Amino acid sequence: MIKITPTELNLVAQYIQAISGIYLDQSKTYLFETRLSSVAEAHGCANYQDLYNLAKRDLSKKIEKEIVDAITTNETLFFRDKGPFELLQHKILPEVIDARSGKSALKPRIKIWSAAASTGQELYSIAIVIKELLKDSNDYTFTLLGTDISDAAIAQASYGKYNRFEIERGLDKKNLQKYFTLLGDSWKIKDEIRAMVNFKKLNLMQPFSALGKFDIIFCRNVAIYFTLADRKTLFTKLAGSLNDDGYLIIGSTESLTGVCPLFVPKRHLRSIFYQKK
Amino acid sequence: MKNLSILVVDDDPVLRHLLRKRLKIAGYSVESAEDGYVARDLIHKQSFDVVLTDLMMPGDIGGLEVLELAKEKDSSIEVVLITAHSSVDTAVQAMKKGAADYLEKPVNFDELFLRLDKIANIQTMYRSAVDLRLALSRTEGEAGQTIQMLELLCGKLQQSLDEIETTLEKDGATSEERVASALAIIRET
Ligand SMILES: C[S@@+](CC[C@H](N)C(=O)[O-])C[C@H]1O[C@@H](n2cnc3c(N)ncnc32)[C@H](O)[C@@H]1O
Repeated sequence: MIKITPTELNLVAQYIQAISGIYLDQSKTYLFETRLSSVAEAHGCANYQDLYNLAKRDLSKKIEKEIVDAITTNETLFFRDKGPFELLQHKILPEVIDARSGKSALKPRIKIWSAAASTGQELYSIAIVIKELLKDSNDYTFTLLGTDISDAAIAQASYGKYNRFEIERGLDKKNLQKYFTLLGDSWKIKDEIRAMVNFKKLNLMQPFSALGKFDIIFCRNVAIYFTLADRKTLFTKLAGSLNDDGYLIIGSTESLTGVCPLFVPKRHLRSIFYQKK
Repeated sequence: MKNLSILVVDDDPVLRHLLRKRLKIAGYSVESAEDGYVARDLIHKQSFDVVLTDLMMPGDIGGLEVLELAKEKDSSIEVVLITAHSSVDTAVQAMKKGAADYLEKPVNFDELFLRLDKIANIQTMYRSAVDLRLALSRTEGEAGQTIQMLELLCGKLQQSLDEIETTLEKDGATSEERVASALAIIRET
């Protein structure tokens, strides 16, 4: 493994923050080394200064992408924390459907965004909740979007294939049998669920108002990697992307106190969600 | 005693007994089956860490079927196939279906023990990863409850502060009245 010098540490940390918003504690030298050493080696770099220079010069951004893939933590699971998905099923979806129904001659469109989708488990869990709740009802049009900064994560999400370690986490036998098919040693999401969702690459540090407004936004366990200043900017932008009666869900150990005064926390059963003031 | 339980499946009695004996001596706990049907029943009745099965066996349940049965029962069961040199292609197919490894006949026991050690290491690592995740999700759950409670409390306090501000700024009331209503809000909170 290539060792990192203090100067390189500073340089690389700043570079990573600039391309992804991810703020890395510079005392955690091993974190840089374990994650970036193989990227450096793969490109024949003897040290991290070389890797940095190469990445800056690379107009195709291939190396930048590889660095992002290496540095992001894609840790996720199906139905993570359970609460938000119960909330979705018993409160949020019924309320949104109610609010959007009968307002116009057109079929109501409901837009949901998983803003740090990682390898897709969060968005597929949402899709399964919708499928279970509405069966094959054709009365609403759902747009389910998953975005992430990591190309590798988005590629796996799009493909919808999970190994047994990933599949065992959070999925019960019933949903596994119903919505996945065994493919060799892995499981693949069935087309009926796959067809409900879309994935694309997006850096939350960049503008995203072009995505339009959403009824429900899941932005969980990503802001924890950003500085307070970047969190403030992010949640202010998210408020702009949420319909006035929309719902925001953040990670179970995250808080918006002191981060974004535009949202008020509300409670239903044992879970919390946010709405605009 | 090694902490792996192994099911040996082979229709060749000589090899089956030899495998059974060598594995027992090496300290593994071993069961054996003389064909796919017996293997199927054992897999359903008992739990194994590893199934070591011959690829070609008479009847409808060959090595590939044993692999499927084992993975269906519990995907964490590792399956190692024993194959004749001529059926290496099928063994490779089996690897794609989730087999952990294959050994060519005649079985080299050093090689077999090496593979088993590897499987044991992976299973230990897997178990500690599961333990860590359980511990993490417990901690996360506890922390989440506390944070969410504080979050709601902060929200409520902020709301009261806003109300107090409006009350204190209210036109057309004497300062005593304003202070009195502000105090009332504070007492309610
Ligand atoms: C820990 S995962 C969270 C996944 C899922 N939301 C959950 O809660 O289980 C964090 C994800 O955020 C992504 N990420 C990090 N920085 C990002 C950025 N600036 N823009 C978009 N996604 C980012 C990472 O690639 C990673 O997949």
